[in-house]
Amino acid sequence: MRKSFSYIILLSALTLGSCSKYLDKEPDNRTNIKTPEQLAQLLTSAYPHASYILFTESMSDNAEDKEGGGTGYDFVDRINAQSYRYNVVEESPDANDGPDYYWTACYKAIAAANQALQIIEESEDPAALSAHKGEALLARAYAHFMLVTLFANVYDPSTAASDPGIPYVTVPETETFKQYERKTVAFVYEMIEKDLIEGYPLINDQIYGNSPKFHFNKRAAAAFAARFYLFKQDYQKVVTYASEALGSAVTENLRPWNSTLTNLQYFELQAEYTKSTTRGNLLLQEALSIWGRSYPSLRYGLGDRVGNEVLFRRNVSGGFYAYDVYGANPQVYNIPKFYEHFVRQDINANTGDPYNTIPLLTGEEALLNRAEAYVRLNNLNAAVQDLNSFISENIDDYSPFTNKVTPSRCATFYNTGSATGVLLAALDFKRAFFMHEGMRWFDILRLRIPVTHFTADGGVIELGPTDNRRVLQLPSLTKQSGLEPNPR
Amino acid sequence: MYRHMLRLAILLLPIILTFLSLKTSAAGGSRKTDGHFKLLADTTIRGRVTDSAGNAIAGVSVLLKKGELGTTTDANGYFTLYNVPARATLVISSIGYQAREVRLAAGQTFISLSLTSDSGTLTDVIITGFQRIDKSKFTGAAVKLDMDRIKTPGQTDISRMLEGRAAGVAIQNVSGTFGSAPKVRIRGATSITGDNKPLWVIDGVVLEDIVNISNDQLSSGDPNTMLGSAVAGLNPNDIETFDILKDAAATALYGARAMNGVIVITTKRGKSGVTSINYTANLGVQLKPTYKEYDIMNSADQISIYGELERKGYLDYNSIANRANAGIYGKMADLLRGLDPQSNEFLLLNTPEARREFLMQYAGVNTDWFDILFRNALTQEHSLSFSHGSDKAQSYFSTSFYNDQGWSIADKVRRYTINLRNTYNLTDKFTAGFKVQGSVRQQQAPGTISRVTNPVSGSYDRDFDINPFSYALNTSRVLTAYEPDGSYSYFRRNFTNFNIIDEIKNNYIKLNLMDLSLTGDLQYKFKPWLTYNFIGAIRYVKTTKEHQITENSNQANAFRAAPNSTIAEANKFLYRDPDDPEAPPIVVLPYGGFYNRDEDDLKNYTIRNTLNINKTLLKVHEVRGLIGQEIKYTDRQNANNTGFGYQYENGGVPFVDYRIVKQFVENSLQYYGMGNEYERFVGYFANVGYTYNKKYTFDGTLRRDGSNRLGRSEKARWLNSWTVAGRWNMEQENFISQINPISYLTLRASYGLNANYGNATNSLAVLRTKLTNRPYLNDRQLAIDIEHLENSKLTWEKKYEANVGVDLGLFQNRLTFSVDAYSRKSLDLISLIRTAGIGGESIKAANYADLKSHGIELSVGGTPYSTANWKWETNLTFSYNENEITRAENFPLVFDLVVPEGGAKVGYPVRGLFSIPFRGLNEVGIPTFEDDKGGVSNNVFLQSDKTDFLKYEGPVDPIIVGGFTNTFGYKDFSVQFHISYQAGNKIRLKPSYKTEYSDLDALPNDFKNRWTLPGDEKLTIIPSIADRYYAFDLNASQSYPYNYYNYSNVMVADGSFVRLKSVTLQYTLPSRIIAGTPIKSLSANLVGTNLLMIYADPLLHGQDPEFFNAGGIAQPINKQVTLALRVGF
Repeated sequence: MRKSFSYIILLSALTLGSCSKYLDKEPDNRTNIKTPEQLAQLLTSAYPHASYILFTESMSDNAEDKEGGGTGYDFVDRINAQSYRYNVVEESPDANDGPDYYWTACYKAIAAANQALQIIEESEDPAALSAHKGEALLARAYAHFMLVTLFANVYDPSTAASDPGIPYVTVPETETFKQYERKTVAFVYEMIEKDLIEGYPLINDQIYGNSPKFHFNKRAAAAFAARFYLFKQDYQKVVTYASEALGSAVTENLRPWNSTLTNLQYFELQAEYTKSTTRGNLLLQEALSIWGRSYPSLRYGLGDRVGNEVLFRRNVSGGFYAYDVYGANPQVYNIPKFYEHFVRQDINANTGDPYNTIPLLTGEEALLNRAEAYVRLNNLNAAVQDLNSFISENIDDYSPFTNKVTPSRCATFYNTGSATGVLLAALDFKRAFFMHEGMRWFDILRLRIPVTHFTADGGVIELGPTDNRRVLQLPSLTKQSGLEPNPR
Repeated sequence: MYRHMLRLAILLLPIILTFLSLKTSAAGGSRKTDGHFKLLADTTIRGRVTDSAGNAIAGVSVLLKKGELGTTTDANGYFTLYNVPARATLVISSIGYQAREVRLAAGQTFISLSLTSDSGTLTDVIITGFQRIDKSKFTGAAVKLDMDRIKTPGQTDISRMLEGRAAGVAIQNVSGTFGSAPKVRIRGATSITGDNKPLWVIDGVVLEDIVNISNDQLSSGDPNTMLGSAVAGLNPNDIETFDILKDAAATALYGARAMNGVIVITTKRGKSGVTSINYTANLGVQLKPTYKEYDIMNSADQISIYGELERKGYLDYNSIANRANAGIYGKMADLLRGLDPQSNEFLLLNTPEARREFLMQYAGVNTDWFDILFRNALTQEHSLSFSHGSDKAQSYFSTSFYNDQGWSIADKVRRYTINLRNTYNLTDKFTAGFKVQGSVRQQQAPGTISRVTNPVSGSYDRDFDINPFSYALNTSRVLTAYEPDGSYSYFRRNFTNFNIIDEIKNNYIKLNLMDLSLTGDLQYKFKPWLTYNFIGAIRYVKTTKEHQITENSNQANAFRAAPNSTIAEANKFLYRDPDDPEAPPIVVLPYGGFYNRDEDDLKNYTIRNTLNINKTLLKVHEVRGLIGQEIKYTDRQNANNTGFGYQYENGGVPFVDYRIVKQFVENSLQYYGMGNEYERFVGYFANVGYTYNKKYTFDGTLRRDGSNRLGRSEKARWLNSWTVAGRWNMEQENFISQINPISYLTLRASYGLNANYGNATNSLAVLRTKLTNRPYLNDRQLAIDIEHLENSKLTWEKKYEANVGVDLGLFQNRLTFSVDAYSRKSLDLISLIRTAGIGGESIKAANYADLKSHGIELSVGGTPYSTANWKWETNLTFSYNENEITRAENFPLVFDLVVPEGGAKVGYPVRGLFSIPFRGLNEVGIPTFEDDKGGVSNNVFLQSDKTDFLKYEGPVDPIIVGGFTNTFGYKDFSVQFHISYQAGNKIRLKPSYKTEYSDLDALPNDFKNRWTLPGDEKLTIIPSIADRYYAFDLNASQSYPYNYYNYSNVMVADGSFVRLKSVTLQYTLPSRIIAGTPIKSLSANLVGTNLLMIYADPLLHGQDPEFFNAGGIAQPINKQVTLALRVGF
């Protein structure tokens, strides 16, 4: 008996010893990152898969109240309406296209980048993963840059050191309610610049497989740097990086608007515009968004007033833009740019998730940013050279002779000095080119451009140059994590 | 090959062993008779065993103390033992009674003796699955139910038989479909997001669910719910008892799985010395539902509504011609456009008279969809069991066959079960047992896909729903099923022909299930007081769901419906090639249908070792104890496959257009897939019990559990749980025993902690690979997503529970009372909480919620009246339970709270039902509501997280549940009425209102009182039929007031009901008639189940208060009459 007793004890001891290993089994088919390929896949998630267009476009001067007046096209969207009125957007944080959703998407991207950086740091040979590190740093810098631009005061060298920023997150979060600090805009810019400078030389397009356009490829990284330095007002660097993004054959990186694109049918153009094979797209990301299907019929958007101001008249080059504005009446004016990729829950379902491909960084932006930087550096000739590159692809019946933009032509057209004229020309091209893409708002922020919004009931909403409403309110739950809301 | 053989041998082993045992025991028996060396004259002893009240006890074991002879008593308490040595000692024992030893006097041939019940108080033992404890020493709250007393022939799922039978157990039949589980709650909910269902344990082994079905999925009608009931494969005739363990002390040994209570099933086993054969046949008829029970318009009224729809511009025949779904107006539109090939004239002249005449022929149709889709279906269940045993080996074998022809024309069930249980007493000390249990199920159900939620408009969508019950309830009685010539009549659905009968024949799910388990147990008695026990179990379940959609089905034809470009553009089942955006959508399923397969498999192992002690010292100090260890291993696998273009009637050859595959891939849909879940569980436990002089009992349990779901950190993955409990048998005290009427009076108290793992497994960050949602395949990449961030503080969901109970027996136990009161506190519950999102996850699952609940349970039972011929037995159960979420950082949205399943909000029950406050109809008859800003409008933002404006209606789960059973016996006849009741909960009414109606909808009679003219808003609350202009405007502004109306306070009914659950008429053939025949017992029962709803809220208009009409495969429980015959040999 004593013998069998000891057998039992032995048996129990054995099971005790091995059970720790027994319990190490993962509960389901989750992924464990073991290869550089998997690390690259993790970094595919390091980009915000949300769109800022709906609220930035609605806040910008590209939007007007085009109340349907019984045409049945009066499609009211909360985010659209509240943004147009510069109210705090009250939408479910899960509602795609809203500021809160974009906030979360950026931090989700940052989390993926930080997770990747942690894996690289803990790997046996971090040097072998330097290209991944480069992408992670760029992605982290980009998402923070977008957040600080939208949710904090615009960078101003005189106040940046005291303006509250947004939390710059560098390590994966492991607790439920972690406390964060906003620090300052200057601090956030420092951190972005640090990541950018460290990451930029490490970028290697080889790790992106079949779709470098969906990752920080070398050109995209340079275009982002150019945008960052433009905000930081370091114009020499804008020129340097924009030139890296564009290369020597500038028009290779511009959309063929007045040739290929303008000849396409509606749906073809819609699809072509955001394809990775289309020239000009430097960085694309898919975003959960209903923007593509709703922007023609949204109540606040492109109508006759904005159309006449921006698109339907001759621009500084003396020509018309090649952009085809569709829509039977002003209520539904639109330039087809977004092909909706509707991912149904299953083949039979009515419901699903709409995805739009959003061009985050483009050749045109880099080019026009460089033009602006040249103006700031007093190199007007270089600036107009860039503007001429731009119009060569963007206006109908382009002629290098009749349409040639010169400093004096700008001065005349805008009835101002030649430097200001060239600057205004660059900004106007940007405004027209990026119609429906939300980019105008960033210039409005950066240059403190005032905006006036009219409403159908006769109201006038003025957005002054230092208006608090230029800064989006932080999602209400950030109070939980110790963040002070923005003043409104 | 070798491995296969081995597996086969293992499976066959118990069967071979059974036959061996039968053979050896038979041989052994003969050898004994022949070769026994007769020292003294052997005699035949006869005898009778009764209880203290003089009633015969059947099945009492009568054994020779030295030797191998033994038998058991028959139904009248008699036994006969042959070849008994003179002056031998007999050991007479039976479960629940104190064993007696009787020394035969010289020459004695007849003995008559009575057994006193085991403890002198309650005649029972509680089987916890770990221990068998005399009820008189059991400190926890538990209920024991004998299957014989609750068996309801015609009920095939044993969990449903528990309804109203035990205090503290609530059974809600959210769906009556075979295989789907009722909502079972022991003492209410303990968790907010995790499981609330009890743990089922069969003969000591936890019965794992085949698929994990969440609380809300139970009522979804999804095809998976057919696998929801853990016990659907059990033959009710194999079950001996249920022990329902309710409080912390009773469930203590289940530690970290015990939070929701435990139901322990004990199955039958062979008895030594008894050979018996039992046959049971249940023949049932399920009664068709009728329109009388429901509030649905007849066809004449319906036609007049269509008249209004036509006036309001909905049924304009030009637009209806291209609409996806249409009824008689669609048919009329087709005729108005169609030409007669011979006469070249229009099939129907476009004149008001001709149109009117066409429509009027449908006014009197009054199609009885219930009659067409349902039948008074027969069910039969045959069960045969053999039980046999000697002192050395006992065996029980049973097999059963259940066949349900199908209440509706869309379903059918067959179930076969087999059960084999052998016990071998190898030596005095060593016992081994084997059990093989198997079941095979073949079931057919209407073809369905999982439902999807549309949180914006607030509706559940399920395409191609052909659930016969919801079809009958929701389809206009104007539509016909057959043309006058007897062929099917077709109306339009998904742009193509649809007839429900035809569709059911061509679109169905076939479920095949095989469940096999092998359990082995060993017992070794080191000393009389020290025993070692081992249990090992293997279970393997394989299920296949084949959704067969033939080429003739509407669901397949919808993929081909493109008669013109307008329809092609509108038909979402066509394919639009992203590489060719200007091209019209094209058909990518030119031939065939679908063959979609889903497989869910379960592999489960359990091993447990325990060491038991049980010793009485100095006659008054009884010490019990147990230590042990167990390991559980569960693997679940789901595999699925979509088969395109399978041609059912063309040789079974799949015709696959590559573009349908391309469409799947582009849509990020997987046309096949496989997923796994792994559970690993380890537990160590110890229990000590001490009873002093039968009066005072103290009990304590400690358990330590570890699970792989809680991650790798040693701290999080392990949990220690404990309980302490005590019991005072007051009748043992002189001051009570002097009070004559009191047979027993006990006081119990317990306190302890147990747990469950919650619905989160992110103790480390959870990364998940997915496909990027990019439209073009050349851009498609793999992405790894952080599904959940690391939660370094993830821990188990825990529950503290205090319980106090009093049991009282009066007048020799003719009347018994049992009252329990408890208070529970659930801590560290997983709650979905919204965070600032800075870490990258905006909604996190974390242990951030607490819940408290309390309740009282009462059961009163007894035999108030009993004479030689007359007998009245009664049993009343009553349970009250209320719970409240005391802490939760969750932010429920309006939509989460107004759905029929209810939602979780702090300060309210786990599932509370809320309503949008209705504020009357506006000047055009459109409903208005209070909205989240305090204003009144017809636009309520369902995604708002401001929910304070909602009206709280009440809990979705009943506060009070119970049952009342009365059995009246006269001689050999008895009749039993079993009533179940519940109260205190609220139900959302069937959503009948929509922004737009079509000529297919069936509307309730309330519509007759709807708003029709301005000013009516002062008279009625039934909304108008919105005209097209308003409807368009509402849709454009994303406002769905008719859906909000369905979620408003006027669409709520009280959930209380009293139901006559069953009536049983029984006749048992008296033993004097069958004496002399091989038949030992014969009885016949006539049972009616669910015959009558005695009380329910009249607002329900026949809607079953338990049932969630979710479509899919869901069906309410039906009325049924069953004849049951039982014969024993």
